[in-house]
Amino acid sequence: MFINWQLRELNLKVVYYGPALSGKTTNLEQIHAKVDPKRRGELVSLKTQEDRTLYFDFLQIELGKISGLTPKIHLYTVPGQSYYEASRKLVLRGADGVVFVADSTPNRLRANLESWQNLKTHLASLEISFTDIPMVVQFNKRDLPNATAITTLKNVLRLNGQPTFEATAMQGQGVFETLKTIINGVVKQVQKEMK
Amino acid sequence: MANTANQYYRLRSGLTILPSHQRNIDDILSKLVQKVPARFVLLTDVTGQIISVRGEQGKINVVALGSLVAGDLAASQEIARLMGEYEDFQMILREGQLTHTFIVEAGRYFALMVQVSQEVPLGWARMLIQDASKQLPAVMEKELDKQDTAFSQKMEAETNQVLESENLSDLFDDALDDLWSE
Repeated sequence: MFINWQLRELNLKVVYYGPALSGKTTNLEQIHAKVDPKRRGELVSLKTQEDRTLYFDFLQIELGKISGLTPKIHLYTVPGQSYYEASRKLVLRGADGVVFVADSTPNRLRANLESWQNLKTHLASLEISFTDIPMVVQFNKRDLPNATAITTLKNVLRLNGQPTFEATAMQGQGVFETLKTIINGVVKQVQKEMK
Repeated sequence: MANTANQYYRLRSGLTILPSHQRNIDDILSKLVQKVPARFVLLTDVTGQIISVRGEQGKINVVALGSLVAGDLAASQEIARLMGEYEDFQMILREGQLTHTFIVEAGRYFALMVQVSQEVPLGWARMLIQDASKQLPAVMEKELDKQDTAFSQKMEAETNQVLESENLSDLFDDALDDLWSE
């Protein structure tokens, strides 16, 4: 979080984390498409030639004034491919909240679990408490005919009360609810830290 | 509570810029632009949030640039660490046909980008940019004077009032609803 009292701005950073091809970039693309262009910046994507995230995607959205403060939300994705381990940790630096985008494709259970464990490791190395940082888990690709059951996904990840949402990010379903909930969680955490 | 700027680092990833900080930062950057001379200077925090811009901004998308500068610096720091060459106030130089671009770490909170014409001697630019990168974190460590202390207390009280309001989450929800078009 970064407060500029001169400009009366409250800046928050949310990172979309998850295994490769789970739909992190798609979430940001949908947000970019649905938010009034006057209230959002360009979607910055550092991609490989194969259109896969190389470093990060970035999108800034600006909310209307709240009691005189202008909140600016910085949304980032990490590269999901295991090869880009080092980059993921860098993107997590300074995160105020995390959205974990899990893949409901049946053969991706192991990838979900590895990414979840990897997130825990990186947060610990950045001295960010896994239990304190606001987090939302999005179960994406729920439109798949053989999508993994939600209970299975929850059991594999051993969720501990984190809010969850079912989504089909390609069609925009569940994207806004996820965004709203993580920002809500971040705001509550900021309030807690300010006390 | 001690009246030093350090108190504003208390939030996990947080940095709080007071008007006096902003004035001092802007002053350092304006002098840098003049002395080098630099075409364009951008200061972000380490997560890429813009703090100050000086020089010829033109049509540059500074928000996007801020995220890339911070990402570039973070990647270079990590490369240096992996190669066993890490040191504070790291500098990255990109030499172009018409301009050169420096990106430098300015203490633990800032990333500074400076663009200069290729006519500017690199050694001269490097020396001035390194000086500025050391002055910038010092701004945040300086003791606050009476006026700043009074201002910061007033702003802190106002901000706390906003942040402590029970319906803050609802206000954010409403602001997000306004943003979204189905």
